[in-house]
Amino acid sequence: MTPAPDSALPFPALAGFPAEVREAFQRFRKTGDIGSAETVVIAAAVDYRPASAGAAHSVTDATRLVEDMGYDSVAVAELVFFLEDVFEVTIGNEDVFAVRTMGDLRACVVRKLAGKTGPA
Amino acid sequence: MNPVVTGVGFITPIGNDRASVERSLREGLHGIERVEFLGNPDLPVKVAGTVKGFQVESPRWRDWAWPSGFDIPKDVVRGLAPHGVYAICAIEQALAQAGLRHAAVSGDPATGLYCASAGSAMLLHHNVALMRAARGARGNPLGVVSSISGTLNFNLGAHYGITGAVCGFVSACASSSHALGYAVDDIRLGRLTRAIVVGAEELNADSLLPFAHMRALSCQADPRLASRPFDVGRDGFVGAGGSVALIVETPASASARGAAALAEVSGWGQAADGYSIAASHPEGAGLRLAMERALADAALGPADIDYVSAHATSTPVGDAAEALAIERVFGARGLRPPVGATKGLTGHTLSVSGVMQAGFCVLSLEGGFMPGNPHLRAAAPECAGLELPRATAARAPRRILSNSSGFGGSNVCHVLSTPGTFPG
Repeated sequence: MTPAPDSALPFPALAGFPAEVREAFQRFRKTGDIGSAETVVIAAAVDYRPASAGAAHSVTDATRLVEDMGYDSVAVAELVFFLEDVFEVTIGNEDVFAVRTMGDLRACVVRKLAGKTGPA
Repeated sequence: MNPVVTGVGFITPIGNDRASVERSLREGLHGIERVEFLGNPDLPVKVAGTVKGFQVESPRWRDWAWPSGFDIPKDVVRGLAPHGVYAICAIEQALAQAGLRHAAVSGDPATGLYCASAGSAMLLHHNVALMRAARGARGNPLGVVSSISGTLNFNLGAHYGITGAVCGFVSACASSSHALGYAVDDIRLGRLTRAIVVGAEELNADSLLPFAHMRALSCQADPRLASRPFDVGRDGFVGAGGSVALIVETPASASARGAAALAEVSGWGQAADGYSIAASHPEGAGLRLAMERALADAALGPADIDYVSAHATSTPVGDAAEALAIERVFGARGLRPPVGATKGLTGHTLSVSGVMQAGFCVLSLEGGFMPGNPHLRAAAPECAGLELPRATAARAPRRILSNSSGFGGSNVCHVLSTPGTFPG
């Protein structure tokens, strides 16, 4: 059988993600460190990237979700739902439509986190 | 020319490959196990036809695992229901046996996909609960395509790049029989040269327990007693999960590739009861007509049939109706072909039932055997006119009539034959 991901983690939504990503999320939850949250955002964007788009390449702020990473509208919706779920934020359609690059996505999540009261 | 079957794939309670399934059918080995749903030992449902080697109980796809050797990309798994995982594993086997690579079916306007599934009640409930918890503000964007009854067509059509035809059937336990029948018609009509026919169902509390509330499930705790079609002690069906896939194509398409024709689909027929939302017509009127129409479509008579693969699910009403229908088609002409009900071994896989029986028929025709009724202890009086052998007969049938019936009175029958077997 394929190995079953460890879902008995503190954050089941991140089951299957590399340990450093899960640790970054834990750090963010404890300290509110935005850089750690951004690590999770980038990892999620790479994870939800359609496999049909070909081999992954390095991701920078300038990387475009559709043109460079192969995202389609369904994959964007999946990624946004995942980020909403993990960070407990709401990302509206107007926010989604404004996201073109990884930098836009990162900034969008940071903005939403800043709008929350208290630690995440 | 009638289409032929060139590939079969099995994910079933009695095996996840052809060899295991054939051994189970030959030796009368069942795949029914003790189960407990929702942590409630007091539920009357004690056994089920379980699928082994998969972990798909969680509503989160990241928790799922399947047998090694099946490559399912992550972005494909995300849109699937648990039974979609079964379906891909079954289709991969069928394609491999037929000697077809993905590239041969992807983008081919002569290849179609015919699916049957009841959808995933588990994922539907999970996703609706998430949506309600967020007071409607958000939900799983793949909630619809992973859970409603078209989930197989949506996902498999995209995954395999099917461009000839993609369709789904929702006639309950006759669904995959309709899928096979209409695939055969499209090939006969020259619309397509090849079809992938697949049925899949998952087995969990959400898929099964509603049938217990209809009083349709067996309450027996002994796996050997729970599913015993045509028996005087039968008390309901045993739920099961799994998937079976067939590759059906023109003989010319098969021979051009050097693929062996495993069986011919010689004909099919359907008729409805017009009687009840769930119960069979007490005299099996629709099923009788469906059998007669299948025989007529195959240009055969009842005397040409060597074996009947019964739908019989082990319910008191359904088995009695089927027994009467078989009696009227065969017994009235002094014929008593052996009748086998493989749900005694598998349990009832619901919408998969018809294509599963068709897959078993292919193995029987190819391997030269006729499955029996190993759990039968004493035939019920209303079924006693049937020839119901206990053991599998090591005798080769040339033509098999395979029955199926679904809620609402849908009845669909197929005739499968050894390739090159002509009437007379």
